[in-house]
Amino acid sequence: MITSNRETYSAHRNLQARNFICHASQAKTVSLVGDFNHWNPSAHPMQRGPDGAWTARIEIRHGHHRYAFLADDQLLLDPQAMGVARNDQGQRVSLIAVS
Amino acid sequence: MKPSTRGKKPAQGNRTPVIANGNAGRIHPVVIYPFRQPDKLQDLEHLYEMVARLDADKATYARPITVIDCKTREILARNPRHLQFLQRTVSRHSDILEAWCVDTCQMWYTGLGAAYERGARSDIYWLIPGDFNYGDPVGRDVLSRLHDLPEICAELEQDLSIGEIATSYSNSKHLIDTYGTFALLYTWFPKEAAEIREYTERPRSEFFAIRHQFLGEMLHRRWYGYEQTVVMLLHAVLDTRHISRFFVGNISDLPEGRDTLSSAMQQVERTERVLKTLWRERHHHEPGWSARYRQLEAESEQVRGTALTLLERLLS
Repeated sequence: MITSNRETYSAHRNLQARNFICHASQAKTVSLVGDFNHWNPSAHPMQRGPDGAWTARIEIRHGHHRYAFLADDQLLLDPQAMGVARNDQGQRVSLIAVS
Repeated sequence: MKPSTRGKKPAQGNRTPVIANGNAGRIHPVVIYPFRQPDKLQDLEHLYEMVARLDADKATYARPITVIDCKTREILARNPRHLQFLQRTVSRHSDILEAWCVDTCQMWYTGLGAAYERGARSDIYWLIPGDFNYGDPVGRDVLSRLHDLPEICAELEQDLSIGEIATSYSNSKHLIDTYGTFALLYTWFPKEAAEIREYTERPRSEFFAIRHQFLGEMLHRRWYGYEQTVVMLLHAVLDTRHISRFFVGNISDLPEGRDTLSSAMQQVERTERVLKTLWRERHHHEPGWSARYRQLEAESEQVRGTALTLLERLLS
């Protein structure tokens, strides 16, 4: 996660948009997985940019969430994350605070 | 029971926590009042502005506790400005707990123990060190983030949430942890040290939040006099507890509380002592443990000696 846009939406005041960037230029597919999408790889596929970086912009509920990048079935931590924890499978994942 | 969440609007630029309802636990803030008094009250004033907000949000927070060493209290009594701040601000927004303490860890133990006695199964305990530069712009930013620590415990069902501050490589805390704490941890508990390092570079952090049940276990097992964060992290790893680390900012401790070479040496020596004690406690039932202990002790002495030499060069 690298940017924090403090946008609020009238219909979903507790949702905020967040941009995620994953630098995995060799990967064929990358998706954003986390508590917010039940770790579902098909929920938030990331888009590859011309520089090889993968990006996604999603709305996340207010609070704290665990997440990671799934690059070709390999779970990657976000080096820009605010923290680290483990998911229910005991894998190290990143933390984001949405306020 | 996992506390539920609800969205709340920030108060005066600082967010209030998202946990609170009738069934959920409450957060117990425990402030450790600075042992040595700064010349200016600016940092404490900003800290207690936050404490006042916590105290006002009774659905989310228990009444904050401020732990003051009796020696500090005696010094404050001779300083009208500081005494007035204590009487008008600190005691207004928190319950003051005075105790004769040999060190900061005993202040933690006293405050967290008192909060635990007031607490319940779903509660979270949040340690807030008082001797940081909360009055600076970066300090104020940190104050606005600290509440993330107990919230992470509550929302993500973590047993221990460690706050990590950014320090320069020449900072005494960083040097002590690099050459002392981790070197000794890798000597006595190599597997656990590697696991701890996956979470944090600051295993002696003064910023943390801890869940009721885990705190209860720690309070009842804590006959180690010092370096409580290291001990808690070790127990958390050994017991496969849920641990998280969260970055709280670029804050610095106040000049009055900074580590001298002598203090740095003392901290390394104390870390070694507590790790030895903990190792013996865990292994003294095993056959041949004393021979292994002697071997590790010899290695540890070399590690400590190297750490003290390096600290002497870097901090003198």
